[in-house]
Formats: sequence, structure tokens, C-alpha cells
Amino acid sequence: MIKPTCDDTILEKKRNLKNRYFSFTFKPFSLVKKCKPGHFVQLELPNTDIYFRRPFSIASVTSDGDIEIIFKIFGKGTALLAELAKGGTVNLLGPLGKSFTFPKKNEQTIIIAGGVGFPPLMYLAVEMIAKGYNPKSIHFFYGGRTTDDIIEKSRIKKLGVNFYPVTEDGSYGTKGLVTKPVEEFIQSSDSKMRIYSCGPTGMLKAADSLGLKYSVPGQLSLEAPMPCGVGICLGCVVEKNDGTHARVCCDGPIFEIGEIKL
Amino acid sequence: MKPDLKVNIAGVEFANPLMTASGCCGYGEELADIFPLAKLGALVTKSISLNPRLGHPPPRTAEVRSGMLNAIGLANVGIEKFISDKIPFLDKQPTKIIVNVAGSKLAEYVEVCSKLNDFESVSMIELNISCPNVDEGGMEFGSDPVMTEKSLKAVKKVFDRPIIAKLSPNVTSIVEIAKAAEQGGADAFSVINSLVGMAVDAESWHTKITNNKGGLTGPAIKPVALQMVHAVYSHSSLPIIGIGGIQSTTDVIEFLLCGATAVQIGTALFKDPMLFIKIEKELLQYMKRKKCNTIYDLIGKVRKY
Repeated sequence: MIKPTCDDTILEKKRNLKNRYFSFTFKPFSLVKKCKPGHFVQLELPNTDIYFRRPFSIASVTSDGDIEIIFKIFGKGTALLAELAKGGTVNLLGPLGKSFTFPKKNEQTIIIAGGVGFPPLMYLAVEMIAKGYNPKSIHFFYGGRTTDDIIEKSRIKKLGVNFYPVTEDGSYGTKGLVTKPVEEFIQSSDSKMRIYSCGPTGMLKAADSLGLKYSVPGQLSLEAPMPCGVGICLGCVVEKNDGTHARVCCDGPIFEIGEIKL
Repeated sequence: MKPDLKVNIAGVEFANPLMTASGCCGYGEELADIFPLAKLGALVTKSISLNPRLGHPPPRTAEVRSGMLNAIGLANVGIEKFISDKIPFLDKQPTKIIVNVAGSKLAEYVEVCSKLNDFESVSMIELNISCPNVDEGGMEFGSDPVMTEKSLKAVKKVFDRPIIAKLSPNVTSIVEIAKAAEQGGADAFSVINSLVGMAVDAESWHTKITNNKGGLTGPAIKPVALQMVHAVYSHSSLPIIGIGGIQSTTDVIEFLLCGATAVQIGTALFKDPMLFIKIEKELLQYMKRKKCNTIYDLIGKVRKY
């Protein structure tokens, strides 16, 4: 575990990404250099009666102290957060959790993102490219109900990765569930592959099954209500396939395919 | 002159009156990664039982107004693994170690306490006779004065150092239980454990945690805890460790004024794992301002109408 910091940061940039999605960039976060794709921060909601912090995966960092999260309004906490004005102060605790393990250089990277699960995966793709991975070895599958659930399309496209948007109603990209084109891709590929997925439980389950079915290793990023985020409350545990419990916050949130009972 | 934060509980000296509450700091390893444990008066471990316990299935916690409801279910590694894997780490920590012990039968409490007697680094045992979250969590020991006295007597025979009785608020008279514990040989009290509660979702009609009922903690319970600390303080001369919803320096002071010699902080650590550093600093500032030379200038000094 990285020794986290607890920083008061300013909301520098606030973007309304439509359909209740927001991108918030905070500054200055003193440990940006320690942040890696898959890490998250616990954000303290200012001036509310909401007691606990809220966990958000990191979407991007810059070397001069910017840290970005992307979230969707789901409940009371995220609704209040969305109202925060530019220039407001928010306390961030992090970076927390385990980060993704990068693929081997000879592997094709299959990213399976769903809804608000895409930010850590976009961060992974960005960091991989910065580390010299060929963007064309990254296959970014992104599923949502409609075109409005596929966020930051142009930002992902700009990375030069193979981008496969999939929507249930066919309003953008291929029609159907994201796992179908993923399975077709795996079946048609002779290369070594590695899966990275983050999204709704149904999608994680499908990604997990595909990995096990075709013997493709990979990692899943899980989400859970999380009182502490640092491993002390045992509130966020999930069941592992070996019958034991794992804490999402510090044994994860990144887990291997086949590890967790989904 | 710098005020003196040291306190003495049953012959054990603590660098300051600030302790972690059981179940809110694991076995110390995670917190040691976050701040220097030397800042703590004592680290109180998770409840240790004779056999390992997986705990309840998730979800185990629910956020409620001004606090949380939890039923973790005494998840712990069991005494054998605690001794082999956790004690070596705790031995090296620059703070006092208090081990919280839970059980479902008297014989289990006795066996765990007797095993801990061999480890000098365990300064004290906190006897959990009040966990509301598992059927066999010891609450039957802590809600009946006869059982309370009997269990204290039994563990006192096998553990040479002081024993703290952790009292439940879920009783008709906490004073009666405290007296029974004292009669049984308790050296100090921890007041209070969590209050039994329930949380329900009006949309799904479902209870929010798998155990259906759980322990309420956080600022919501502070007034209850303050009253119970004061009630026990008024009826016993044994030292009290105050617990319940502490999240600021002011809260710590209120507990001291009501009669606590030390305090434990739990749920607030989930929000701010570095809280101890801030409170220690602010407590010193407060004592200077109020011209208190020692913590004892505050203990039990509440002014009543």
C-alpha cells in the first residue's frame, strides 16, 4: 500500500458531460506521481450531513498536480457533489487500493468498459501508450444503453486505440450487449490477450466468464460501498471463489479474473 | 510548560488518552501505513475469538444519519493466527497494545485470555461482553449481572494483567452491570459498545445489512455514551475509557469531563484515518488555554445544574 495523503484541493475544472455525468478536476493533489491506473481516492463531501467519504476511481492525473474523476449522479452523495461550484474546496484521501498490472508487450489488450466504469480503463490506456505500448494493440470495447451512456467518445478515439462502442438500442456503434463483439474478437484472434474490465456487475460477470472460457487472463475493477477505503472497517468485503472474503478497498479494487464470486 | 497528556489506567501508563476503538483499526497494520502509531495512547485490536470467524456476508454496513450501522460479525483470524501472524507485528509497535477478546462460551473467553497471558506486549485485555451483532457475541454475558461477574472472575484467574470490561448500552441499567463487573474483578470499564439498530430501504422494502440488525455508531450515539460514562463514573471508582461518536477534540474533552480517563475513537477514523494527529495537537492547545497541567484536571469535572 502507498502511504496516502489527505489533501484539501480546489475544484479547478468542472465539466458537465451530459446525461448526469460530470468530470471534476481537483488541484493540487500532492501524490499525483504515485497515482496509477486502478487507484482511487476517497472524497469528503463538504458541508453535508453525509457522514462517509465517497470513493472515485482516478480518471487522469497531470504532473503539475491535477487529478480528475468522472462520475454519474446515482444517489444523494453524487447529487450533492455535482452541485459543488468551481473553486470549492474538497478533501481527497488517496491514492488508495491496488492498481492494474500492465499487460505483457506481446499481448493484445481487451478493455471492456461499461457506463461509469470507463474512467480507470481510459487512464490505463493513456498510461500504456505513454509507456510505449502500441495503441493498436489496445481494443477498447465500451458498452452502454444508449449513445448518452458512452462518455468522452472523442477523447478515447484520440488515443488511437481500436474503439468499439456498443449500445443496447443501437443509437451508437454496434447494437446489443458489449460482451458479444468481445467474444467474437477473442474467437477470431490468434494472439495472446489480456482482459481489463470495469462496469456494472452483469458486465463484470460476463467478462469474468469470457476470460475463464477462453483462458484469457485479466483483471476486473470492482466497486462497493466503502466506509473507510483503507482496509480497517471490513465493510466492503466481497466473497472470493475460495470461500474467504476480500476487502474491495485494499485487497482490490483490482482483482484477477476467476478470483471473485460475482 | 507543555501540558502532560499521560494517563494511568489500572497501573498501565499511556502516553496520551487517545486509543483506537476495537473493530476500527484491524490489527494495526493498515493504520501503521498511514500515521505513526506512537501518536496513540493505545491500539485496541479487533475482537479476537478462539476460532477464526469469516463474519457476516456483505452488505455489512449502512450509512445512516450521523453515523453508521454495522454487523461485521466479529470477523477475525482466531487466537492461533493472531499469535503467530499479528503479535510479532504488534510487539514492535511504539504504543500500548490492548487486545479485545470475544467469545460465545465462558470456556472460550478463558482459553483466549489464558493464551494471551504469555505475551507481555499485551498490556491489557478488553473483554467484549457486549457485541450486539452475533447471536453468540457475548451480549448475554454483558446483559446479565450474574454472568458478567462470573465471566470477569473466570478470566481474571488466567490473565495476570488488568482486564477492561466493555459494557453494552443495550441494558436496563449499565450501572448494575458495571457493579457486577467490578465485583468480578474488572480493573476498568470501556463505555459504551454500539447500540442495536436497524436500517431499511423504503423503495425496496429491504433491510440494508444482511444481519438485519446491527450496531449503531458515530456521532448519533454520543449523547447516550456521555450519559452512560457519567453514570458509571458516579457509581464506581474504576477508571473509564469513554467511547461513542467521538470525532473531534471537543468530543474528547466532553468525555473526559463526564468522567472518562481515556477515550477510544472508531467510526470517525473511517472518515479521517489521520484524526489522532489533529486531536493530540488540539488537545494540548486546549489544555494550555484552560491552564490544565494534566488530563486529570479535566476528568469528571463536568459542572452540573
